[in-house]
Amino acid sequence: MQENFLLPLIIALPLLGFVLLGLFGKRFGEPAAGWLASLLVLGSFLLGLFLLLQGGAKWTLAEWLPGIPFSLNLDNLSGVMLMVVAGVGFLIHVWAIGYMHGDPGYSRFFSYFNLFIAAMLVLVLGDSLPVVFIGWEGVGLASYLLIGFWYQERVNADSARKAFIVNRIGDLGFLLAMGLLWSMFGTLSISELVEKVEAGGYSFTTLTLAGFFLLIGAIGKSAQVPLMVWLPDAMAGPTPVSALIHAATMVTAGVYLLVRHAFILHGDGFLAGLIVAIGLLTAFYGALCSLGQWDIKRIVAYTTLSQLGFMFVAVGVGAYWVAIFHIVTHAFFKALMFMTSGSVIHALGGEQDVRQMGGMQKYLPATHLHGLVAAFASGGLVPLAGFWSKDAILAYSFEFGPWLWALMLLASVLAALYSIRWYVLVFWGDYRGKAHPHESPAVMLWPNHILMGGALGVGFIGLPYVIDYKNFIEPFLTKAIGDFPHEKLPVVTEWVLIIISAVVAIAALWWGFRFFQQKMPAWYERFQTAALQGFYADAVYNALLVNPAKGLAELLFGGDRGLLSGFASLGSLMGGLGALLARLETGALRFYLAGLLLALVLLVGWGVLR
Amino acid sequence: MIWLIASALLFSIGAYGALTRRTAILMFLSIELMLNAAALSLISFSRLSGSLDAQVVVLFIIAIAAAEVAVGLGLIVAIFRRRETTSVDELRQLRG
Amino acid sequence: MSVGFWEILALLLLVGTGLAVVRLQNAVHAALALIANFLVVAGVYVALEARFVAMIQIIVYAGAIVVLFLFVIMLLSAASANVGQDLLPRLPWVAGLGAAGLAAVLVYALTRFQPPANAPALGGGLPQALGPLLYDPEKWLYALLVVGFLLLVATVAAVVLIEPERIISATSHPAHPRQDQKPTPPMTEQKDGKAVVKR
Repeated sequence: MQENFLLPLIIALPLLGFVLLGLFGKRFGEPAAGWLASLLVLGSFLLGLFLLLQGGAKWTLAEWLPGIPFSLNLDNLSGVMLMVVAGVGFLIHVWAIGYMHGDPGYSRFFSYFNLFIAAMLVLVLGDSLPVVFIGWEGVGLASYLLIGFWYQERVNADSARKAFIVNRIGDLGFLLAMGLLWSMFGTLSISELVEKVEAGGYSFTTLTLAGFFLLIGAIGKSAQVPLMVWLPDAMAGPTPVSALIHAATMVTAGVYLLVRHAFILHGDGFLAGLIVAIGLLTAFYGALCSLGQWDIKRIVAYTTLSQLGFMFVAVGVGAYWVAIFHIVTHAFFKALMFMTSGSVIHALGGEQDVRQMGGMQKYLPATHLHGLVAAFASGGLVPLAGFWSKDAILAYSFEFGPWLWALMLLASVLAALYSIRWYVLVFWGDYRGKAHPHESPAVMLWPNHILMGGALGVGFIGLPYVIDYKNFIEPFLTKAIGDFPHEKLPVVTEWVLIIISAVVAIAALWWGFRFFQQKMPAWYERFQTAALQGFYADAVYNALLVNPAKGLAELLFGGDRGLLSGFASLGSLMGGLGALLARLETGALRFYLAGLLLALVLLVGWGVLR
Repeated sequence: MIWLIASALLFSIGAYGALTRRTAILMFLSIELMLNAAALSLISFSRLSGSLDAQVVVLFIIAIAAAEVAVGLGLIVAIFRRRETTSVDELRQLRG
Repeated sequence: MSVGFWEILALLLLVGTGLAVVRLQNAVHAALALIANFLVVAGVYVALEARFVAMIQIIVYAGAIVVLFLFVIMLLSAASANVGQDLLPRLPWVAGLGAAGLAAVLVYALTRFQPPANAPALGGGLPQALGPLLYDPEKWLYALLVVGFLLLVATVAAVVLIEPERIISATSHPAHPRQDQKPTPPMTEQKDGKAVVKR
């Protein structure tokens, strides 16, 4: 792995797009702005692929901050993430060309989109923690800008602020972790930290604390319980934003961060238990909430929460490469799911309520196919992408403890149910709305075709060892993450687990397919009212945190107002004095001359008599 | 020494005139009086300290006074053509 | 320097003509009083060994400058000191007090001046004495050149200020419309401008 000046170019390309479109976006017009942005991301993707095939690259700017170089590192781990970010990002860019058609902020949208890609690539490629942090904050900013993209409506702007503020909590964790690591090891470069941690000679408790702070950062960015409240509201942004940022890439940044620091987390029982607990909670919370939503995008948003919980569990049980594997498969089928939803919304002229949908298979045959594949992949049907990655998580969970495996199996049953519920409500039954659905243009269909291919086939890079003894992705990733050997399950157990998980998924999908077509029973309605509100998480936060903080703010504001009125009266006093002085300005020349004479007498008198 | 006192008196008289005169021309005349008083004090100082430099300065004062009168009277004429008055009290556009 | 008859007389004349300049109600008379004042000052200059300056004072100040004043007074028919309304009727009192205070302060300041004991003679202030100073590059040559240039600029400025075309365009300035006359087309304005000049 050698120094390569092409590496920063990967980041510079989308950044260039951001600058160009930000400054001259209106000149490019439609659709040139969208194509420019897309091609720059494609350029990043191809450049990254080229460097990855050469075996990775490094790039360092020695004197960036005192003692901290600006270093980028393209190894196998960041390479895989780069492929996902730039590859899926490119497809979503192209899709957005069609989706954002006719929007007055067309070029602004693509400039933000490119900014996001650039920031995400900084996050992924950064080798030094401050560099990662730049990307970390950059994606937060881009996310904020894009959630509030239609800022004229108050609810959108509020959602953007909510996402930003909740993310701040995570950022605080990240900063604390950085400070702690710096004080422990005197370096913030990840590759150097790996060596120092291996060398030993430090307090393990402190390292656990650093890992805990990193975990807080990851929780904030990946919207885990208890910081999950911002993600459903983030659906206020345009659908491509939800697909790219809040499903495929940015929210997985927390998982990526944890995997990058596997050398800190590994072998720490406390952190492992905490991560597993959080992941499990999130997986169930997201799945149950998703089952109660009516807004098509919120349904998919909560499924994202649930899948992120799966990834956290994978990290917690020490299956780091599986977490990344799930990020990859998830990026494909969740982006496909979002973009299928987006195509439906587009077809119905902005309708987002699934109660106004149904029967779309008749009107939108191609999109129906995409939706079917997305739902099956998400629900874990053999042999689609989602099945293999989820199966790997289940296998590792079994090693951790059979009880965890059982719970995860239950969570994957829920995953199958919410996937099929989404599919049934949108595509089956009779059309319940009044708009005239029309199939999407080719520019929106083709990215979905490609993503559909990925959702079908990308799982085959990570088959379990009983089928494919040496799959592609495990050795590829462990080279970068670090090899943490574990005992493989016996062949029989592994086969039993695979078959159970496959059968359960098929059964759940079939049962859900039947169940969601009929009229809902009363107990489900009751469950739904609670789930629709996200089990009152927002209300609880409002009561516990937001309202006390608001009260404090009101109190301080009252104090400020008192102070301000004091200053205001002081100001009006000065104003009165000024008005008095202004009356001296009569405009009469001789009056001024009199003043001149007076000043002359006084000055000369003072000069003489002193 | 008496001429220094004389110049002080002339200067004060000129200042009084500059304030009390209401037409631009007469105000200008008073200012000439003040200028001349300053020149007189310079000549006195020249005599008292035995230096000719002050006399040269007085020559310059006279030359500059000539320039000033040329421009000043031009201004008065221009203002008179526009406003048909030489009264300074009616020129109140100086107020901001 | 002794204070004799001539000195007292000159002082009285100076103050008297000065007061006449600032008090006379006819501008022509005031200007004539100013000439008288300048002539007395020229006499004082001769007594103070500044003969060349005295000559210049008579020729330039009394001869040229004040005559220029007289021309303008007659040109504008502005002989009367009482024009327009007095916006500051109580200003003379203030002015009197201020001038008295100024005189007191100045007299106090100037009488404290301590001349050097043996001042060298000035050679009567003749041109032969002043000339080398004026044209000495290390003394006043450049100041002389600058003052000469200033005079040129002032001459040009005076010509530009009273150029007829500018006056006409200024007459029709939208910010200061003339209220006593009806708006007239540009052709008659030109006549109007000339009429103002001739009046």
